[in-house]
Amino acid sequence: MRLTSRKLAGMTAFLLAGAALAPCGMALADEPVLQTEESDIIKLSPVTPHRILVQDPVGHHAKDGRVYVVDADQGKLLGMVQAAYNGNVVQDPKGRAFYVAETVWSRGNRGDRADLLATYDPQTLEITNDEVLPGRALVTPKKNDLTISSDGSRIYVYDMVPTNAVHVVDTTTHKVAMNVGLPGCALTYPWGKDGFTSICADGSLANVSIGAEKADITHTKPFFDPEKDAVFEHSPSRSADGKTWFISYSGLVYPATLSATTTIDKPWSIQEAAGMKAATNADSPFTVTWRPGGWQLAAMHHASGRLYVAMHQGTFWTHKVSGTEIWELDVAKHKLLRRIKLPRPSSMVGVTQDASPQLFTNDEAGDFFIWDLKTGKIAHTMKHLGDDLYFTTALGD
Amino acid sequence: MTQSELISGRAIQDGAPSSPLDRITERLIRHVASYSSRRSVLGRLGAWATFGALVPLLPVERASAATPPGTGKAAPAAQSHVKAPSPFAAKAQTTDPTACDYWRYCAIDGFLCASCGGGVHSCPPGTRPSPTSWIGTCFNPQDGQSYLVAYRDCCGQDACSQPPCLGTDGDQPSYRPQANNDIIWCFGTGALVYNCSTSVIVGNAS
Repeated sequence: MRLTSRKLAGMTAFLLAGAALAPCGMALADEPVLQTEESDIIKLSPVTPHRILVQDPVGHHAKDGRVYVVDADQGKLLGMVQAAYNGNVVQDPKGRAFYVAETVWSRGNRGDRADLLATYDPQTLEITNDEVLPGRALVTPKKNDLTISSDGSRIYVYDMVPTNAVHVVDTTTHKVAMNVGLPGCALTYPWGKDGFTSICADGSLANVSIGAEKADITHTKPFFDPEKDAVFEHSPSRSADGKTWFISYSGLVYPATLSATTTIDKPWSIQEAAGMKAATNADSPFTVTWRPGGWQLAAMHHASGRLYVAMHQGTFWTHKVSGTEIWELDVAKHKLLRRIKLPRPSSMVGVTQDASPQLFTNDEAGDFFIWDLKTGKIAHTMKHLGDDLYFTTALGD
Repeated sequence: MTQSELISGRAIQDGAPSSPLDRITERLIRHVASYSSRRSVLGRLGAWATFGALVPLLPVERASAATPPGTGKAAPAAQSHVKAPSPFAAKAQTTDPTACDYWRYCAIDGFLCASCGGGVHSCPPGTRPSPTSWIGTCFNPQDGQSYLVAYRDCCGQDACSQPPCLGTDGDQPSYRPQANNDIIWCFGTGALVYNCSTSVIVGNAS
């Protein structure tokens, strides 16, 4: 048989192709068959300073609010839990649990209302206790509507109906231990194991000491004018020692030490700390200057005494406008240390409390930015973590 | 010599051509002169001088000044005779209640009922207005008046979810509930499930 050159070329190509495929075929034959699997559930490691919770009330369908559990070292979502209808969240100071206050109705948007306080295991995200509350204030979530004592033994739930009150929940028995009526005052800023302070409508503070049987309440004198220059609810505060920095709409910082005998120091101006003129209040609303604004608009790194404030340029009454910069201030020296320009305006600033602190900002699209505070650079961007990222909680903040 | 004779004589002396307007004017004045004394004419002129000056002060005049002819849109309050009291008011408009810069929304927070099947002071079907609310004060550039506005939420269905608006004129924290727009103002409606916000005029604040 005579082989034409064309046939020879064809056979050669076939042999070469076969030789090339042979190793693949052998490899496939050696690959073990995939084994059958069991469904399992991830268990998280214990909470670290960089494991944070991010609250998302999902304003466009508020019955579906949630809390995200985020590993800020990796910029990774670890899980989430429901926090229905303007829900709120607070962490045990040692990370042993976190608590979600939420509200549901038995038939969705109608029926019997239930206000709940769910206790979550932070490693399994399983509910370990699900308590019915006497009520809670339904308001776009603010951190100080749900707080915890410095030792984690008491949770303070702010309520508005029928009158302003705080329900004190014992975290050991999971029962409401006390209801403290606070007409004319709202929110809670805990100090120590057995006390908290509320802000009152006249610009004063109410200090509540919780005893075995009853609560004792003392009042400070008014120290700000709520109509001309109110202090923000999201003013940073620490339960361990009651140190609080009340920040006003115009940018005055009132250092305070909360206790049964709260002391309030003379205010200083954020703008003056930056070498600018102090900002105007409601008396001159048209003046455009740098002003604090947003939702969780300020955070404190307690060990270093550095205050982080979301700042924007605007008139008075722009106190909910997102910040275009984060200003880092030394609260002891009343001095601006750094201005961090944001890629997009942020309604929040959060900070971790460890020696390598991270800073958190967001944007309108629900992206979440994790910054390394040492370098001042973004370490991770989590695209669309949620719809409405309102605030963060980290250990010890 | 009457007034009419004086005018008529001057016209003849000037020898100017008589236009139709001149002729009508002359006839009118001759008619007035025939039936009135000099004193009564002066009296009427005086009355016009006195009361005519008041015409620009009437609300009708302010409204026309605030609305540039042909635009169909209210001018910013800066063009009004009354100075806008806040930055929001200075840029507010009075014609489109589905836009966030509508004057009554100076302190609204949430979804506009006017964009959700309701109206400025009307709830969409399937929802109910809360009898409670917080009160804001908004400036209307159309008439230069400030009004008390009750921000009453419509409740019973979940968020309407049209583009939200946030006005913060006079908005104070929740420890001042009477002036706070973060609270779910659905008290007294059964389930406190928020759908959208109305802005109801409840009084004049000027």
